[in-house]
Amino acid sequence: MARRELDLLLGGAQGAGLDTSANVLTTAFARLGYGITSDREYFSNIKGRHSYVHARISTTEIPQALTYPVQVVGAMDAETIFTHHGNLEDGGYLIFDKSTSDRRPSSISSIEPDLMRRLENTFAELKIDGTIASLVEFLGEVRKVKLVELSYPDILAEVTKKFKLRAAYASRYISSILVGAVAGLVNLDGKSVRYGLERRFAGRPEVIEQNSFVADYVSDAVKGKYGSPHELGRSQLGCDELMVASGNDVVAMAKIVGGMRYQSYYPITPAADESFFLESSERLEVNGESLGSVIVIQTEDEIAAINSVIGAALTGARSATATSGPGFSLMVEGLGWAGINEVPLVVTYYQRGGPSTGQPTRGTQSDLLFALSASHGEFPKIVLSSGDHSEAFYDAIEAFNLAEKYQTPVIHLLDKFLANSIATLHVPKLSALKIERGKIAYNPPRDYKRFDLNDTISPRAFLGSKVVTWYTGDEHDEAGHVNEDPLNRVKMYDKRMKKLEIADREIPPEKRAVYFGPEDADFLAIGWGFVKGVVLDALKELSNQGLKGAYLHLKMFSPFPSDYVRSVIERFDPERVIIVEHDYLAQAGMVLTLNTGIVIEKAITKYTGRPMYTRELIAAIRRVINGEKRVVLSYGE
Amino acid sequence: MASDVGAYRTDVWVDWCPGCGNFGITSAVYKAFAEMALDPTKTVVVSGIGCSGKTSHFVNVNGVHSLHGRSIPFAMGIKLANPELTVVVHGGDGDLLGIGAGHFVALGRRNIDMAVIMHDNGVYGLTKGQASPTLLSGLKTKSLAKPNIQDAINPIALALASGYTFVARGYSMMVEPLKEVIKAAIQHKGAAFIDILQPCVTYNDIQTAEFYRTRVYRLEEQPGWDPSVKKSGVGEKEKKIMQAWLKSQEWGDKIPTGIFYQNPNTSTFEDRIDERIPTYRDNPPGKQPVARKDGGTLIGDETFRKLFGEHIVKTEEK
Repeated sequence: MARRELDLLLGGAQGAGLDTSANVLTTAFARLGYGITSDREYFSNIKGRHSYVHARISTTEIPQALTYPVQVVGAMDAETIFTHHGNLEDGGYLIFDKSTSDRRPSSISSIEPDLMRRLENTFAELKIDGTIASLVEFLGEVRKVKLVELSYPDILAEVTKKFKLRAAYASRYISSILVGAVAGLVNLDGKSVRYGLERRFAGRPEVIEQNSFVADYVSDAVKGKYGSPHELGRSQLGCDELMVASGNDVVAMAKIVGGMRYQSYYPITPAADESFFLESSERLEVNGESLGSVIVIQTEDEIAAINSVIGAALTGARSATATSGPGFSLMVEGLGWAGINEVPLVVTYYQRGGPSTGQPTRGTQSDLLFALSASHGEFPKIVLSSGDHSEAFYDAIEAFNLAEKYQTPVIHLLDKFLANSIATLHVPKLSALKIERGKIAYNPPRDYKRFDLNDTISPRAFLGSKVVTWYTGDEHDEAGHVNEDPLNRVKMYDKRMKKLEIADREIPPEKRAVYFGPEDADFLAIGWGFVKGVVLDALKELSNQGLKGAYLHLKMFSPFPSDYVRSVIERFDPERVIIVEHDYLAQAGMVLTLNTGIVIEKAITKYTGRPMYTRELIAAIRRVINGEKRVVLSYGE
Repeated sequence: MASDVGAYRTDVWVDWCPGCGNFGITSAVYKAFAEMALDPTKTVVVSGIGCSGKTSHFVNVNGVHSLHGRSIPFAMGIKLANPELTVVVHGGDGDLLGIGAGHFVALGRRNIDMAVIMHDNGVYGLTKGQASPTLLSGLKTKSLAKPNIQDAINPIALALASGYTFVARGYSMMVEPLKEVIKAAIQHKGAAFIDILQPCVTYNDIQTAEFYRTRVYRLEEQPGWDPSVKKSGVGEKEKKIMQAWLKSQEWGDKIPTGIFYQNPNTSTFEDRIDERIPTYRDNPPGKQPVARKDGGTLIGDETFRKLFGEHIVKTEEK
């Protein structure tokens, strides 16, 4: 019987072609109308360290979350088997290279000492000698794992011979061995795989041909021996197109649609891919006609990035930067200048593990308090966050509208999970979108004053328009000149701070915090950002098990929708309200308390740098409902 | 056609110490702007923090009084988003070569068409006279507890090494020649740098007006001095840079002022963007419409699919 879902893990060394395998498979699955979401885990390393892609493919929906165990592990190398054998379900399929059977962890220098010790304990417990051969034998016999044993060298020799390739290039085709093996197990047709290859290797027909050969060859061999035990049924998504993109890609597209025309950045993981994308799209041309352009500047540091964004914004360009924690740390002084000068700008902030360099390639949500309080002094700041790719798209556009309407910096808080997660999503609908530029003085009077106190939000005249304007980081008068008068200080201070009150009145609370689930739910989970998907997935499971939960998805932390959030929480037994997030302090809970006076007693957190998975979250929710105050999750490699 | 010099002054009270070298610098700026008849609405003075940072409030053109050390990044954003603007940066020696040195170097690499005017008095005036990056080691100016323990940066040599295509030095008390250098810097297409020596009457009791009076001389009065690169061919540029570099080492009894080096043949950053984006100058970021008249997005559903088609997969029945 055809299946509806597949959980899959593909692993290999950084730089060995894992991205290609994942990319080709994702496109091929999307071709058949399946929904996919994935997590990409990697070290801060270019070549050699272990990386993997963990994905869920669904024929009925765009999956919201990932879970373990998976039904299929595809191993490019021995390290993948050592690292992930525990992630595979009993009776699942392990695709691996039988020529690695004599490898041991001690012969693999990229394995970290901690994992090495854990493996030694496992081997001692299982009474096996620690070679791949001994481990797969155990998996096959005790855990009933089906061993999809392939000889990668033999397959590579085959393609090398057929296409008369140099033997040194053979390893480039390993990615297609995994593609072929997965295709065989799920009965993914050669045509779709080829489509995936054509997308990946556009304009390189011989590479497509060679990889297609490898994939088909392996797929046929696997099907011949194992059938297609994980055959996926027809798509029930009911759409004739799907977008395939990472979080970085989605935000970049949104920024272009949202009218951003200037971005400067300094390279940092996991934000830089967004700027790469923008740079490759700098000429907005359709059918030879120009719709404009995006200037993307790689600056000497993040300080220059944000300050040049301010300069560009003063000329009227919708401007932004994209960064992560260490970069944002350098930006905060500029942020304050934008605050006191009422400059609209957007900072797309992809959180990664901190403090300091922390875990540069791993995810977190530990920068919420920092984002909210960044820069000395008080000024209005809008901080919004997104829970998935689609939300990130629309929010990235809204960020510019908010920045211009309230003439103040907007921080769009995202994370590494989203940034690097390649997923399918429905193609965004643009017809209902509005570009709101707020108050602009297109024909300013001769006595125009930028900080006119007649209005809380005074019209902006751009540098280069018909009037002369002044700006200063000092407290200033209406014209923008330095002014230290105490009464003027109060007026200007109030003018700025009141904008946040206006924003609080104007932005609908239910757009700032979104309630999912039945009104009469038995418990309430509260979270934000990337936990949205996994919480909703867990609630679905729990509901099937008879425990009805609801989820309050916090999206905007400043201005915080205090009354609305309070009204939701007050409906629940305080013992059954749980904050779920990726940090130690449960910072969103602290912000909630600060704004509502309600203390959330229960927390589920995770700070391994890896995402939360449905199964561990379900177990944790049950534990806190049964009385535990705090559960810290740690599953995943 | 020249404009009225007075029109370039604002009503803001100039609160520098009486006798400050900044008065000479702003005098030269007013005159240069007037002689060039710069349109105040199309001109932006971007300043940093410190005594020189106040300059933007005293000049009646757009003024952006930015952050300490960051005037160059602010100016870059302004210029690149609207390249028709004339952008002039004013910063101190501590501002541009201390806290902002990274940006100073980066501007040379980019050769953005703007002028950087450095108020060089050897001290941090507004914080009461600490040693700045241009104060020679061993000197003990008035506020210092001990002689300066750090070596000085040579601003001219650093500008040359960074890639500035116009490098000059002025002296604040010689307003006429300074005005000419400022005009040349603004007219120059590319990143222009002027190191302006100025006395700090309150905190620098060594490099005083008296000190400079007997030492400063003008390069343009030296027979045979020619700082400009004429052709874009090989060799001449390197020769002129070497000549300027050697001249930059001269300090002591005789201090050269005037243009050290000028090369109009290097493409500006704006030229380089223009090569990649042919519509850039006609339709720069600051002037692009980003919405339709009805407020909808400029990029509609169909355009979106054309722009980002490689991320969209047409699905097929299994």
